[in-house]
Amino acid sequence: MDDARITALALRAREGDRTAAGEFVAATQHQVWRLLGHLADPGVAEELAQETYERALGSLRRYRGDAPARSWLLSIARRVAADHLRRRARRPVAPAEPAEDDRPLGRAPQPDPAESAAVRDALAALDADRREAFVLTQLIGLSYEDAAAVCRCPIGTIRSRVARARADLVDALGEPGAQRRSG
Amino acid sequence: MTGNSGRPRGDQQGMAGSSDCDVCREAVSAALDGEAGAAESARVDAHLAGCAACRAWRRDAEAVTRRARTGVVVGGPDLVDRVVGAAPGLRARWWGVTARAGLAAAGLAQAVLGLVGLLGAATHAGHGDDPLVLLGAGMAHAAHESAAWNLALGVAFVAGAIWSRHLAGLMPVLGAFIAVLAVLSGVDLVAGRVEPARVAAHLVLVAGFLLGLAVVRTTPRPGAGPSPGARWRSRPTEHGAAPEGLRAAAPTGWERESDVA
Ligand SMILES: [Zn+2]
Repeated sequence: MDDARITALALRAREGDRTAAGEFVAATQHQVWRLLGHLADPGVAEELAQETYERALGSLRRYRGDAPARSWLLSIARRVAADHLRRRARRPVAPAEPAEDDRPLGRAPQPDPAESAAVRDALAALDADRREAFVLTQLIGLSYEDAAAVCRCPIGTIRSRVARARADLVDALGEPGAQRRSG
Repeated sequence: MTGNSGRPRGDQQGMAGSSDCDVCREAVSAALDGEAGAAESARVDAHLAGCAACRAWRRDAEAVTRRARTGVVVGGPDLVDRVVGAAPGLRARWWGVTARAGLAAAGLAQAVLGLVGLLGAATHAGHGDDPLVLLGAGMAHAAHESAAWNLALGVAFVAGAIWSRHLAGLMPVLGAFIAVLAVLSGVDLVAGRVEPARVAAHLVLVAGFLLGLAVVRTTPRPGAGPSPGARWRSRPTEHGAAPEGLRAAAPTGWERESDVA
């Protein structure tokens, strides 16, 4: 579903159209869930996705439709993930949950059979900013411009983060033929 | 690759030296995403023609991107019923529609009261001279004024129900009018200067005022909060303009917290 259609659904939902609200959620929930799995933790992605929609639908009144609704929603998801990480860092960690370190993705409690463990580990090992830029542009499919809007940073920052994420992934996944430059 | 060490590279225009590989690779990455400009692509091609390492890197980068993308996660929770059912904004919106309909009905009732008062004043005025003149107005004229006010308030309610975004500005006037009227009605009622039926008619005003408050609370306000679109339009456009400017630009004014709670 394209951005214009998703934005139209959000505007109809803002006017109280519950069917449109349902379609808006259905059209975007997979991407929201997936983004949260990468930004926070796959084990809490569902809970955080629900929180994202609660915030989004609660503040639909203030959405004016001049930014793509998908980017608007993903920026809320991003903030929900950041809030979650902040909460988790502040609070003593439950025994079952791994302590937050520089690899917030950790081990995936929910197995993703289709996404190879190697790729998932390599993504999880990325610097958080690079991972975010890579996930938004490559897995969610946002343009650099929309990703910059979601992250509230300049387009050039997205551009260099994506390139560095790619370089890190090339190193981590040890693609055959990867050539190291000395220098 | 060793390009993440952050060595300065912003001043290289051509892509001749080994550190230009970093510049090239960022442009290659952008090109893979269809985000590189034509002039930049030409410079990249020129560099790639003479740099086997970057040609290999492009192949690898393409491959890892494909691997990451094709690992499509199927499934995920279905949140539609959970979140749409609980959304307060949508419930509030439904109440808003109900409140607007009620406000329109109160407005019509109030307008009818005003018209009835006008007709009553007209028939009363036909009976000849006013026995009482107060502050320069006869009873008939006072009744005309009262009827005009009632009619105007009815029209205001109906208009507020239709153009609800302008209703908020009306509420202080209505509130003051109703507060003063309530006090005076109470005093007059105790003193026996007014019939209870006429005071009861004022309840339509109170109902309209409360419904108006409900409409104001549930109406999307275009002026509330900063517009996300303002940020959208003011975004810096260094994309394509300065492909070699790799360092993050200084944070700009639009990078503030969103209006979303
Ligand atoms: Zn090179």
